[in-house]
Amino acid sequence: MLRIVSILFFLICSLGVDRIEGSAPKGGEADAIVGKANLAAYYAGTDGRARVRMTITDAQGRERVRQFTILRRDINDGGDQEYLLHFSRPADLRGTVFLVNKHVARDDDRWLYLPGLDLVKRIAAGDKRTSFVGSDFFYEDVSGRGVEEDHHELIETSSEYYVVKNTPIDPGTVEFSSWTAWIDKQSYLPRKMEYLDNTGKVYRRIEALEVRNVGAYPTVSKMKVSDLRSGTYTVSEFRKIEYDLNFPADVFSERSLRNPPRQWLRGR
Amino acid sequence: MSLGARVIHLSLAYPKTLMLLAGLLFVGLGSQIPRISIDTDPENMLPADQAERLFHKKVKADFALYDLIVVGVVNERHAEGVFNTASLSRVYELTRGIESIDGVVRQELLSPATVDDIQPDGPGVVRFAWLMDKAPTTPAAVDSIRSALERNPLLYGTLISEDGKAIAIYVPIRDKSASHRIASAIEALIADFTGEEQYFISGLPVAEDTFGVEMFRQMGIAAPLAGLIIFLLMLFFFRSLSLIISPMIVAFITVGATMGLLIGMGYTVHIMSSMIPIFLMPIAVVDAVHILSEFADLYPRIGKRRATIVRVLEHLFRPMLFTSLTSAAGFASLALAPIPPVRVFGIFVAIGILLAFLLTITFIPAYIMLLSDARIARLRQAPQTQGQRLASWLARIGPGTLSASKPLLVAALLLLALSVVGISRIRINDNPVRWFESDHRIRVADRVLNKHFGGTYDAYLVLTVDSAAAPAAPQPIDTLLLEGQREQGIDLRPQWEAIMATTASLPAESMFDVRIDAVLSLMDEADDVAAELWDEVLLLLEEQQSAAKYFQTPSALRYVEALQTDLQQSGRVGKSNSLVDIVKTVHRELREGAEEYFRLPGSAAGIAQTLLSYQSSHRPQDVWHFVRPDFRATVLWLQLRSGDNQDMLALTRHVDDYLERQPLPEGVRLQWAGLTYLNVVWQQAMVQGMLEALLGSFLIVFLMMLLLFRSLWLGLLAMLPLSITITFIYGLIGLLGKDYDMPIAVLSSLTLGLSVDFSIHFLQRARTLYAELGDWPATVGQLFQEPARAITRNAIVVAIGFLPLLASPLIPYNTVGFFLAAIMATSCFATLVLLPGLLRMTGKRLAVRTKT
Repeated sequence: MLRIVSILFFLICSLGVDRIEGSAPKGGEADAIVGKANLAAYYAGTDGRARVRMTITDAQGRERVRQFTILRRDINDGGDQEYLLHFSRPADLRGTVFLVNKHVARDDDRWLYLPGLDLVKRIAAGDKRTSFVGSDFFYEDVSGRGVEEDHHELIETSSEYYVVKNTPIDPGTVEFSSWTAWIDKQSYLPRKMEYLDNTGKVYRRIEALEVRNVGAYPTVSKMKVSDLRSGTYTVSEFRKIEYDLNFPADVFSERSLRNPPRQWLRGR
Repeated sequence: MSLGARVIHLSLAYPKTLMLLAGLLFVGLGSQIPRISIDTDPENMLPADQAERLFHKKVKADFALYDLIVVGVVNERHAEGVFNTASLSRVYELTRGIESIDGVVRQELLSPATVDDIQPDGPGVVRFAWLMDKAPTTPAAVDSIRSALERNPLLYGTLISEDGKAIAIYVPIRDKSASHRIASAIEALIADFTGEEQYFISGLPVAEDTFGVEMFRQMGIAAPLAGLIIFLLMLFFFRSLSLIISPMIVAFITVGATMGLLIGMGYTVHIMSSMIPIFLMPIAVVDAVHILSEFADLYPRIGKRRATIVRVLEHLFRPMLFTSLTSAAGFASLALAPIPPVRVFGIFVAIGILLAFLLTITFIPAYIMLLSDARIARLRQAPQTQGQRLASWLARIGPGTLSASKPLLVAALLLLALSVVGISRIRINDNPVRWFESDHRIRVADRVLNKHFGGTYDAYLVLTVDSAAAPAAPQPIDTLLLEGQREQGIDLRPQWEAIMATTASLPAESMFDVRIDAVLSLMDEADDVAAELWDEVLLLLEEQQSAAKYFQTPSALRYVEALQTDLQQSGRVGKSNSLVDIVKTVHRELREGAEEYFRLPGSAAGIAQTLLSYQSSHRPQDVWHFVRPDFRATVLWLQLRSGDNQDMLALTRHVDDYLERQPLPEGVRLQWAGLTYLNVVWQQAMVQGMLEALLGSFLIVFLMMLLLFRSLWLGLLAMLPLSITITFIYGLIGLLGKDYDMPIAVLSSLTLGLSVDFSIHFLQRARTLYAELGDWPATVGQLFQEPARAITRNAIVVAIGFLPLLASPLIPYNTVGFFLAAIMATSCFATLVLLPGLLRMTGKRLAVRTKT
């Protein structure tokens, strides 16, 4: 399962490259690179936490800030995962919670809690390429795009990157005709992704602006998504990144929507 | 006269040099014409720094609004209207095609195939999905699309018609000047479709840009056609091809040089300036017709061309100078109008008139001098049969005007009274779509789409809360920090006061963000206890920030809701969309679609989170078309079925009345924007400006008449035909029920300029003749010889010459054509019929003045 696109919320828990087994990819080269990138970007440690500060800048240069804490726990490496996002800013969104039970074999379960309406909503399975809370990130950037959803092709190998072109197997379900990823040869972290529309024009770009080592894990600590059509872009900065915190399973239960697990969100 | 005489003698002495100079003038300035740039944007009727226009621009920027082309797909034949698989598939195909057209703001395209459906999907489940991400293939799929559209008040009446027969696609475009090209590209897509649907393309930008394209075509057709007809008419009157070529050359040089000068100086050709050739053509020809007319009459008697020309110009120089000066003054007065394109028009027509005068008194004599003797000889022998018929007819009228002068005067007064009634009925109104004939496809599309939908004209009602009204009291934070010092022994107040000091002067919109950022960075460096305290400061700051998000508070939105309800009930608005509709609709869908939740949530947080849900769609930017991201300004998008200024004006009055009853909350301003509203603004400026220009030029012309005739009475008489003409023309406009619009407003200067010509010629000659003859009936007899013929010929040439304008598909051109004929007829009639009788009443005065 390739979840390159979803690095945003996974890179905090990126595995060290050293934990990826195997030598230089050969046959099915592209698939192998993509598989490693998936692990590098999304499956680090057993769990992780970060404070995320998301700045949405519109075409007129006006900024809006959204801030949340993200918790993640792996059920099994490279397999199912759980996420909890708890918003703290702006004040009118404080206490809003987004919970995802990510499944490899079936559709993810997603819930949204809106405290201002005291409303828990399950979000139906369906199109995940919609805006995440009004930013330029997509929900799919959170809950992941399956490796098997695209055909992968290694189109270039430079001194720094593997360049992989990904073509959707069912073009009817997505708004792009293909996307290209520049994957770091050392860390296997995708450094740049570009999405092409049906006219062959790049209309969306994701960039890893800053990579830090958090313990043993190379981690993207600043990333930018640009919507080239509307001229808006969103920058996410990750702070207080921590791995292997041993969250108990009930942190990710539906109960946490209305009663956020304060001690785990806050940490220190 | 001595200067004039010298000029004329020079041109008689060096005719070839003069021809060369005229040719150089034409080529030199005319060479600039290919650099032409067309401007049909009615926004440019207002100066770039005009307040309402600046506000409109700001609203477009603040709310990321684009000009829209509206494409309507109508199916009148299918029982379910457009809701069948075939029609929806075509809508889908068309949308995909339009998306790829260059210049279309793709992510803002509004069509059933580009919007989201937010629906409850079972208990506790909400669904965000494309409404129509592929062409539907089953009736069930069609039904679900239909019911989704009907459930969404933002789309119902906007994207689909309430009768289900039509779907509208709103195509936002980056640049208005590309709308004709984009509309043509859309038409090309449509051309490939077969089926029972009809397609219509509308919207103000298309109307305006298409007008530009047609206008360009008309400039190429109408003006030359008018030239041709004038040419044929002159041929008919003078029967000498070689002779009448000269006024045509004068006209062409005048038009070419004037337009070249205008374009060369970097002015764009606006709808007004596109009419310059059409205005200049008759004016340029008029003086030449006087010269030729008199030359043709005198030459057979005098027999020497040089002597004839000198004699002709002795008669004509002074009246021609004054007619040119008065016409030029009439147009130059438009420079006082507050509308830039009208100013340019007035100034360049004035320049053209003076140029035409110069050319006429130099070029025509030079040209006659260069004609071969044989041709001139032929002119001498030519029996002017046509001229004779007109002459004998006029000669018969002459004495009649004297004997029946009193009844004629009474008739004129009655006509004037009737005209005043007409003027009182004049309706000031304009609408760029109505610049097209009623069967033009743009007018047809306009009718059809406005029948089916909430309206294709938009106006924006903008509510803004002033910065001063932002609550910014920092006391709770001070108290908190004081407590922190007392209880935990850490004093953060110096740092906080530093933040306050540096941010105090920032606008409310950004002040809180900057303060929050400053606290956040202090928090990063602080120890645990201090960080804890900063966190609480942050909380209070954010509360203040939330309160500053005015249009996210329930009370503010309730005001908007009430205003919107009132507008909808007034019947003056076809459809309105606002932030309130978004919040209510999404709130309902979040609550399992239950109708009782089609209301505003009770708290700002509830509203914020409703909007957060709305933004979790494929179109997260949509909400920002209705509210500014700082929530301190919101816009109601009003769809109007009519773009008439009168209807827009009635709407603004309705809102004014509402505000009387329901005053705006403290600190909130209400302002209008949108193209339909801007049209009203410039129209009002124009009416006022034109009236001032008319009065101003009337006064200037009157002063010039006093200067010319050195007699108050003669001056007043000279003003009489034009006063009658203007009154009659505007009375006619009122009586015919024709809206007073931009082209009509400009006609006033034309009327003034053209109709004073006749009285100047007539009075000037009358005075000279009376001085010679000393007897009234004899003078009138003479007046109705050559002078009356020249006036009548001129009136006929100009009136008929502009009839081709009636065939144009553009209404302003028709208007000018029709009224030009009416102006000519009226002023010719008023001059010839009324002036003799009035002159006789003052015969003695005239004589006295002439003798001194």
